Amino acid sequence: MACSGFLLILFLCSHAAGNATLFSSVALFQAYADMLHSHPLIVSMFSKGLLLVFIIHIVTGALLFLQNRRARSQGYKVQRRAVKNSQASATMIYSGLTILLFVLLHTYVVSFGNHKTIGETIVNLFSSFFVSIFYIVSFIGLAIHLSHGFWSMLQTFGINHPRYNSFIQRLSYLMPIFFLLIFGSIPLLFLFGTGQ
Amino acid sequence: MSTKSIDLTLEIWRQKDSKSKGDFEKYSLENISTGMSFLEMLDVLNENLTGRGLDPVAFDHDCREGICGMCGAVINGIAHGPEPETTLCQLHMRHFNDGDILVIEPFRSRAFPIHKDLITDRSALDRIIQAGGYVSVNTGGTPDGNAIPIPSATAESAMDAAACIGCGACVASCPNGAAMLFTGAKISQLSLLPQGQPERKERAMAMVTTMDKEGFGNCTNERECEAVCPKRVSIANIARMNREFVKAALLG
Repeated sequence: MACSGFLLILFLCSHAAGNATLFSSVALFQAYADMLHSHPLIVSMFSKGLLLVFIIHIVTGALLFLQNRRARSQGYKVQRRAVKNSQASATMIYSGLTILLFVLLHTYVVSFGNHKTIGETIVNLFSSFFVSIFYIVSFIGLAIHLSHGFWSMLQTFGINHPRYNSFIQRLSYLMPIFFLLIFGSIPLLFLFGTGQ
Repeated sequence: MSTKSIDLTLEIWRQKDSKSKGDFEKYSLENISTGMSFLEMLDVLNENLTGRGLDPVAFDHDCREGICGMCGAVINGIAHGPEPETTLCQLHMRHFNDGDILVIEPFRSRAFPIHKDLITDRSALDRIIQAGGYVSVNTGGTPDGNAIPIPSATAESAMDAAACIGCGACVASCPNGAAMLFTGAKISQLSLLPQGQPERKERAMAMVTTMDKEGFGNCTNERECEAVCPKRVSIANIARMNREFVKAALLG
């Protein structure tokens, strides 16, 4: 879970970096995509590797969910949490499923969609209000997922030390917000007609 | 501190034995002194029940001073009740108000079968200890207290982990019914100290494997265990257990 999560965060970083070209212009983004696709071996290796990591993350996550539900076979009449702000950790499976739905639709439209160039697809896609809102909602789901996932990953790796804990805590707020800003501002950019 | 008297309504889980299906039963209690502990309040209830020829509520208890780890129940959804860092026996009735409704449930988990009423079988925790929670000591005369130098910070961390009284509140409150805080505390306590080094790797493997075998769930870092722990054992011990386990599994 933590290992595949770590690889997925690395993927998010590279995806965010690629998307950031859209802040400059669609043409630059198109050039970036063309450059990537001029190395078919790299694209094929990374996309298949990514698919594998995704599947590992989903399967281990689903197994954890099912095993843990069985271990907590009897619930309590009064359900209360002693921890405050536990919404993100308690809903990992649901924020995860939201992201899965998004990823399926996103790859379907962007990779297998009927279009000439990726640049045109992006412009078309985000001209629709509902599509843009769907993207932004999914990114909020991603941010919630990451707000628990990032810290949880470090804890699973055994990285928990009084010297670093306050830094880790700050990072687990800032990192999801960073991704939300980068990814979320792109649909907004096109929705308000400022993207070119 | 002045004491007053309060009236309470209790909803308690009643279960005849491990095979029967239990249910909640309602009891009204009047004139409970706020100076009483939670267990003393249950004693009063049991005296009433016995006087009326009814079966008293079975609950575990021993030292009644918060150090043995025997008592414990879930009060209104929180293991050991609403006061942090407190066992059930050290929870006093002054923390409750007149007219409160208290739902009292046993510590639940798949690995904790219920014996009777509020008594759960926590022997799965003992079997985790048996699997590796020991050190090898040469027989002979009493060793000198300061023969093995231990840095103060290490001794403190080991002591913080050793504060675990094994009450099982961590398992009871975990949304996954996991025993990682208990096992993490026990592994940490021994692996931090020089006396625990000979069995360090076998211990991590054996205790984690037994924990899984006993039917406990997996940790998803929800931090509920730490929040209800009467001894405030930190989840830093779970992180240490993860490190110990990975080291043992990879390096052998």
